[in-house]
Amino acid sequence: MSNENEPKEQYISLAHGNGGRYMRELIDNLFAQYLANPFLNTQNDAVTLTLEQPEIAFTTDGFTVNPLEFPGGTIGSLAIHGTVNDLAVAGATPKYLSLNAFIEEGMPFEQLERIVKSMAKAADEAGVFIVTGDTKVVPKGEGAGVFFATSGIGIKKTGLKLGMEQIKTGDKILVSGTLGDHGTAVMLAREQFGLKGDLQSDAASVFPLTHSILSLDGLRFMRDPTRGGLASVCNEISRVIKKEVHLYQTEIPIHEQVDSVCEILGYDPLYLACEGRVVAIVSEDNSQQALEIWRSLDAGQDARIIGEIREGNANVVLETELGGERFLEELEDDPLPRIC
Amino acid sequence: MAHITGTVKKRKAMPETLQRKSYELVITGQVQGVGFRPFIYRTAKKYHLKGWVKNCSGEVITLVQGDEHQFESFKQAILNQHPPLAIPFIHSIKLVKEELFDRFVIKKSATSEQAQRHIPPDFFTCNDCLDEISNPQERRYRYPFINCTQCGPRYTIIKDLPYDRPNTSLSSFPLCHSCNKEYTNTVDRRFHAQPLACAECGPELSFIQLNDIKAETNIIGNEAALLKAIDALKHGKIIAVKGVGGYHLICDATNEQAVRELRKRKHRPDKPLAVMFSASGYNELEQLNHYCHSDKSNTLSLEKKRVSSPQRPIILINAKKGLLAPSINPGLNEVGVMLAYSPLHYLILKDFGLPIVATSGNLSGEPVLTDNQQAEQRLNNIADGFLQHNRPILRPADDTVIRIIHGKQRLFRIGRGFAPLELNLPFNLKKPVLAVGGQMKNTVALAWDNRVVISPHIGELDSKRSTKVFAQVIDDLCHLYRVSPKQVICDAHPGYYSSHFAENYSNEHNIPLVKVQHHKAHAGIVYGDFFLKESTFQDKKAWLVFTWDGTGLGDDQTIWGGEGFYGQAGHWQRVTSVKPFYLQGGDKAAKEPWRSACALLWENKIIGNEEQNSQHFSNEYLPEKESYSLAFHAWKNRINTIESSSMGRIFDAASALLGLGKTSSFEGRGPMLLETKCQNYFSDKSQANISQLNIDLSALPLYKKNELIISDWSELLTLLMGDKHSVEKKAFQFHIKIAETLIAQAQKIKSIKGDFRIGLSGGVFQNKFLSEYILKRLEEENFDAFLPEQVPYNDAGLAFGQIFEGHFQEEKA
Repeated sequence: MSNENEPKEQYISLAHGNGGRYMRELIDNLFAQYLANPFLNTQNDAVTLTLEQPEIAFTTDGFTVNPLEFPGGTIGSLAIHGTVNDLAVAGATPKYLSLNAFIEEGMPFEQLERIVKSMAKAADEAGVFIVTGDTKVVPKGEGAGVFFATSGIGIKKTGLKLGMEQIKTGDKILVSGTLGDHGTAVMLAREQFGLKGDLQSDAASVFPLTHSILSLDGLRFMRDPTRGGLASVCNEISRVIKKEVHLYQTEIPIHEQVDSVCEILGYDPLYLACEGRVVAIVSEDNSQQALEIWRSLDAGQDARIIGEIREGNANVVLETELGGERFLEELEDDPLPRIC
Repeated sequence: MAHITGTVKKRKAMPETLQRKSYELVITGQVQGVGFRPFIYRTAKKYHLKGWVKNCSGEVITLVQGDEHQFESFKQAILNQHPPLAIPFIHSIKLVKEELFDRFVIKKSATSEQAQRHIPPDFFTCNDCLDEISNPQERRYRYPFINCTQCGPRYTIIKDLPYDRPNTSLSSFPLCHSCNKEYTNTVDRRFHAQPLACAECGPELSFIQLNDIKAETNIIGNEAALLKAIDALKHGKIIAVKGVGGYHLICDATNEQAVRELRKRKHRPDKPLAVMFSASGYNELEQLNHYCHSDKSNTLSLEKKRVSSPQRPIILINAKKGLLAPSINPGLNEVGVMLAYSPLHYLILKDFGLPIVATSGNLSGEPVLTDNQQAEQRLNNIADGFLQHNRPILRPADDTVIRIIHGKQRLFRIGRGFAPLELNLPFNLKKPVLAVGGQMKNTVALAWDNRVVISPHIGELDSKRSTKVFAQVIDDLCHLYRVSPKQVICDAHPGYYSSHFAENYSNEHNIPLVKVQHHKAHAGIVYGDFFLKESTFQDKKAWLVFTWDGTGLGDDQTIWGGEGFYGQAGHWQRVTSVKPFYLQGGDKAAKEPWRSACALLWENKIIGNEEQNSQHFSNEYLPEKESYSLAFHAWKNRINTIESSSMGRIFDAASALLGLGKTSSFEGRGPMLLETKCQNYFSDKSQANISQLNIDLSALPLYKKNELIISDWSELLTLLMGDKHSVEKKAFQFHIKIAETLIAQAQKIKSIKGDFRIGLSGGVFQNKFLSEYILKRLEEENFDAFLPEQVPYNDAGLAFGQIFEGHFQEEKA
């Protein structure tokens, strides 16, 4: 990547991490400039915040993705959405984020700028402020361009009871949109398959979705199906509540292109990551209402009721079009072919 | 045949005055549920012996009093004149001191934990019962549940041993006066016939008719229900019939439209369907002979002989062209046939007059359905009507499938009539073992002391119902045989359901878990089957076992399937293999032969770059351009791509390259079509000597790498893609090449290791042409070769193989 003839400042160098002028310029001209907000003051060691609610949600997450930019997002927007979404599915309103950036020596400045810009846009859209941060530069070969870590604080309505322990037999399972778009889009971009199509990552803040159904009494639990996809979320639920998670294959929304790519590659889209979807468990009574609310939102147009919680062994069962009942097993390290 | 396994104890000199001696015999083997006690009773009476006989949890104990001559005649009669369904072994004979009896009686059954327990399989309807069912003077004229001690259901109705009526699913049908008289009359052939029934007191038929809008009419009564069902069949309808071990979906086998409709509704586009023929008493093959070839060759007479055996299996046999509906076996010559096996089927076939398609009433890959409500619900979209009865089926037993290869029966699926398959081991196990088999075609095996029992076919373990039946069968076997496993064995593949189950089972029961590599278990099948007939285990001879199948996880974490193992069970050394290639698409590869074809072409760079690719897009074996290009990039970047040496996939590749289908609705279809093409070429030239057919008889090139003798498949591509020969000739040449390659590998290993016995195992050897050609050639080359006969050597035998391989691995450790 690095080219000796190019002017040095077009690439991140170790000097950008040594605490001197280069570092100050990197922070001031890039991070502080794009992420500017009333709380962010690069001069202070810590930020002082006042919260309007006594109960808060607090979370942290790290981000790596290859490639750093993909249709529908960048590692920058992902770092915002990931933490915002973790807060949102906990029933909180995301407010403040911290940011750590680990940048690899040789990273093109221009690309980093694009990434930070998309991060700023994502934060703006999600209504969150990055209030504190840090950058490090790691020697070439010790990072994959850039890694981010974000922590976030959200405020929560007092007494809101969400959790797997709230789930009861007969509850319905909703998803807010098509599954596996992010995983497929990133994979296609990474492997440079050169496939034409309009498939975009679903990466987005899910706060509008989670917030919209918070007032429903029958809302039990929400989760954003990231790594391991819907199948992994359902497996975790069934393992914890020791009941059957029963899904209807025909009801699960899958983007046509995701379906055809998976068909060829031999993947199951239900195991692929989403970055802007919500799985919600809602009482049967409230399920139709939840569905209507979601469908009235831009982000929830493809929302569906895809299954229900049943008495039975702790398995995830996928009811097929023909009425067969297939297991969705926990993701193996690396799925090996089984059919003789 | 019966064998004496026990020894006669030395007799003490007895005073002359005491002419009557008391002998106690313990008789084991298949002696319950087959009319054995009445037989003993009659025989004892015949030779004027006094004493008693009783069932004792699986074995029969009899005390007989008389002189030595009488006793000797009695013993010979047990061994030579026993009822046809019985397989008795005289376990022990001892002289005892006992008060003298004045008559011979049948005593009440006793329970004993230690006794040898045997569960009889389900049998056909015997000729005596068929005579009765056809005779208007008889009480059971046209009664669909007629049976006697010599026939009828067993395994599927037994709740527990001893095998007595209260322990069967007929316990809810109290015997009427007439039946009770037969049941208690020691000389009646229904004496202690546990499933005994008549129209007065026994199970009854009902028929649910669904009209176009799925509204039901329910008809109860044997004749009325049958009449409706036959009428529906005549109108080309599809009926779900509750039989002995589960439901069948049936329709007119000569009505192409009905068969197509069944395929459409069952979403089973081309997997062959079984056909049932009438078995009209003493001329039972008449209808079958009309539809299937009946030439005089020995093999065919063996096929006919097996089809009419009391187990009533499905036999693969060549059908005459143009008589049965073509959609029954599209693209194939053989059809799976069976004879009516229960009185109900007998009546259906007799009244209908034509053969019927009889395919398992289930969703693809799941165990056959057994419960009325479940069947009504799950087959609702397939069947136009349900012909069923109220005798509960306690556990499924699907139809057994057999193909005659090289003059012997080869079991492809064990079920009704065979299962539970009880066999004796040539050694004694230190502790009871449960082996859970593989993922596909699953069966389980339970072994203890010197016994092993294989369950009936359970199916593919990827559905809720299969896994439920899987767990139930394990519980049932442990309970019925009173065995608690102290060790559990599974495949080394971590993703099999059976492996997960075994891991949990081991934790819950706190017993050790042993993992056996897939193909070593396949080698274990050969080894085990071969030594089953030996009463003691003494084998110093080495083996070379070729285990050729589609997929099994290898010790090196690649996918194996073209391997040869040298040595002995528990000590196998992998010595032969196939040039590895990279296969993309995970489990999809097994159902999409184009992936195997592309894998070989890409590996050898025959196609790959864009320019070459575009030349091949017109070919039938490649998918759409966009899909192809995606798959190629995924293959190149090793996305969901794994190294494989599978022979099964090479057969898949060949079938795709010959245009026999890019994709298939079930794994194995490509190779089946390929074999048919090959057989067609060969049968055209039936009398010709192969050497006169201008066929290349050379093997594929072999090379040595890391002590492995590897065959290079590259030249097959030239053969298959060339346009010089017909598809049939290319298919034939392909089979010859593969077979000769096995011979060449064997010879190469012989030059290194010296003499050995050869075994064949794995799904690839279900190919009749291939196996027969290989066995013939091995004989010519003076090799001693063996293909399993008593146990399935596809994945249905894995559990059995695991028992053997597990045992010897432990011995070695």
